Amino acid sequence: MKSKAAILWETNKPWSVEEIELDDPKAGEVLVEMKASGMCHSDEHLMTGDLPFALPIIGGHEGAGIVRKVGEGVSWLAPGDHVVFGFIPSCGRCPSCSTGHQNLCDLGALMGGGRQITDGGSRHHARGQELGLMCLLGTFAHHTVVNEASCIKVDDDLPFDKVCLLGCGVVTGWGSAVYAAEVKPGDTVAVVGVGGIGANAIQGARLAGAKRIIAIDPIEFKREKAMEFGATHTAASMTDALALLQEVTWGTMANKVILTMGVGSGALMAEAMALASKRGRVVVTNIHPAMEMGVTMNLLDVTLMEKQVVGSLFGSGNPRADIPKLAGLYREGQLDLDGLVTRTYSLEGVNDGYEAMRAGENIRGVLVYE
Amino acid sequence: MSGIRKSKAAVLWGLNQQWKIEEIEIHPPKTGEVIVHWRAAGLCHSDEHLVTGDMVPPEEFWPLMGIESFFPIIGGHEGAGVVVEVGPGVTSVVVGDHVSASFVPSCGRCRYCSTGRQNLCDNGAKTFVGGMITDDTHRHFVNGQPVTLMAKVGTFSEYACVSEQSIIKVEKDIPLECVALVSCGVATGWGSAANRAGTQPGDTVAVVGIGGIGMNAVQGARMAGAKRIIAIDPIEFKREKAMEFGATHTFPSMADAMMSVMEMTYGQMADRVIMTPGVLHGEMMTEAMNLAGKGSTVVITAISPMTSETANINLFNLAMWNKEIKGTIFGSLNPRADIPALLDMYRAGQLKLDELITKTYKLEDINEGYEAMRDGTNLRGVIVNA
Repeated sequence: MKSKAAILWETNKPWSVEEIELDDPKAGEVLVEMKASGMCHSDEHLMTGDLPFALPIIGGHEGAGIVRKVGEGVSWLAPGDHVVFGFIPSCGRCPSCSTGHQNLCDLGALMGGGRQITDGGSRHHARGQELGLMCLLGTFAHHTVVNEASCIKVDDDLPFDKVCLLGCGVVTGWGSAVYAAEVKPGDTVAVVGVGGIGANAIQGARLAGAKRIIAIDPIEFKREKAMEFGATHTAASMTDALALLQEVTWGTMANKVILTMGVGSGALMAEAMALASKRGRVVVTNIHPAMEMGVTMNLLDVTLMEKQVVGSLFGSGNPRADIPKLAGLYREGQLDLDGLVTRTYSLEGVNDGYEAMRAGENIRGVLVYE
Repeated sequence: MSGIRKSKAAVLWGLNQQWKIEEIEIHPPKTGEVIVHWRAAGLCHSDEHLVTGDMVPPEEFWPLMGIESFFPIIGGHEGAGVVVEVGPGVTSVVVGDHVSASFVPSCGRCRYCSTGRQNLCDNGAKTFVGGMITDDTHRHFVNGQPVTLMAKVGTFSEYACVSEQSIIKVEKDIPLECVALVSCGVATGWGSAANRAGTQPGDTVAVVGIGGIGMNAVQGARMAGAKRIIAIDPIEFKREKAMEFGATHTFPSMADAMMSVMEMTYGQMADRVIMTPGVLHGEMMTEAMNLAGKGSTVVITAISPMTSETANINLFNLAMWNKEIKGTIFGSLNPRADIPALLDMYRAGQLKLDELITKTYKLEDINEGYEAMRDGTNLRGVIVNA
């Protein structure tokens, strides 16, 4: 069949929205009609080359849609089912999946290649070439064929343009606070960078009972939004936050520091570590340049103050448990997804959406496919 | 000043009697002891358990415990006040400091205090009997006869001589009535949900019994991010109050809750069940365990009759559904860290304390306060001493 998708042919060039050829799903695969896709910073990282995946590639990894066709052997999905994609597949059988760490599923190793899990081939073609899929998904498209390991079934009453965000940014931010940072009632939490991830780290910290949430972002609009999501204080920089934390915590500093900047920088770690209390936990959620090898960090301070640095992928959550769980919290009014979506665009507007992201005008832009 | 001090105190002389206001004599503090002027004392159910005998060891055990009699005893273990005199060697407080009582002492040196479990301090062993923690001798006398202090603090007295281990310095900007509530009921309830039960954001939590403990378990579950908080109490006033403290659903009994919890959780039932009824009887455990889902945690906070030895629990289900039952004292918190931490949550507007106090009483009116507790018209009554 023919469909339409946004393709990246080379780095530092705009997304090209064009017609694609789509093969039928093979065994273990499903054809999904996409309904909405979030525009996450990680796709921007494809464009800048910070994420060195094989090109050409169909972008997008935060998506929701309706199953239209299932391949042989797919027993738990049927045409008509609503699905959100987990940006990391979860096979349910590898050691990580078997111990409550689906975010580290061994199938994740195949993500860089962008080819089908089942046979290493491609179902997507354009200009006579095979196309890779961002995170094995390619949600910047009207249709896609993905492995069942990437699909999470969700209830039919949930709006696509909101629940698509559960596939990546919301769980990543929320879980960074709840699971990776282990925010406890009464904690003081600093969130560095208030974009699509940071806003949800704030929501997670709030729901986990943080007493103070200090949201740090240079852009005033984001600081204002942060207060709506549950921040108690804001600061324009980590330097400003340092002074603020010293004052409000009587010098004991933040129990948890969550790094959710657009791009991390090793040079900024010393400042982040300085925000953390004794036994403070610093969570690195944001993407750093792949080849960066140096960070500023006083390791004596790490030892003597027992500070901890923790990496987090998908908020250390389990896609199959946490996507439905957060959908439930949205339904109960305890998780704000509506407020995350600043603007919606058609597929053709994808470059406008990223322009707005770069200008700091969007918490999240969402592509909506009619 | 140092000399014998006179004070009014509510004394219990035996089982099933009224509290009697007596004039007591207090001897000067020895090493490691201070005199506290109790300004506020909560009317907690545990003092009532002394009256009913649920928390009184049977008479035949008294010789084994090295005492001639459990009575007389000055009640009260939830309190806050001002230090008015310090004995030799006291370093953690000075005269004029505001302090919270801590019904479990924390020596800071035993195995439990040294591993973040101050609620289990070895000096808690003498909570109900004998004299001072410091040297076992008495400082309090009624009609010349030694009198024990409930939980070694005896907050139903205007003044008391207590060990430094039983008091925690607090900031002076917090009303002492609020400090008093945090010293036992609030910490116990809040910690039962937020700490011992391990409540996680998105959980369904059932709280059984909405008194001074259960209401704070509701607050703790709310702060820990529970999606649904099911408050269960036969009294309508308490169910209404529970909603104000963060409950999302209420039911008059566990039986009434059962079908609705099944429906709202699609059959998965509660992730945490917190047992905070006035008195917990073993036969209530059947329903409590049925409210709890696969892999869930049931926390026993309430006092059961001390000599009761049976509980109705299906151990097949416990094993096959990987459930756990956990006891807790003081919400498994550390008094010295968590009493100030909870007060700071109050300061930040996240913990309701003022709303817990239904009515204040003079010390002389203590029996009236307990009458109201038995009638279920008080969340918490508080004695206030000028």
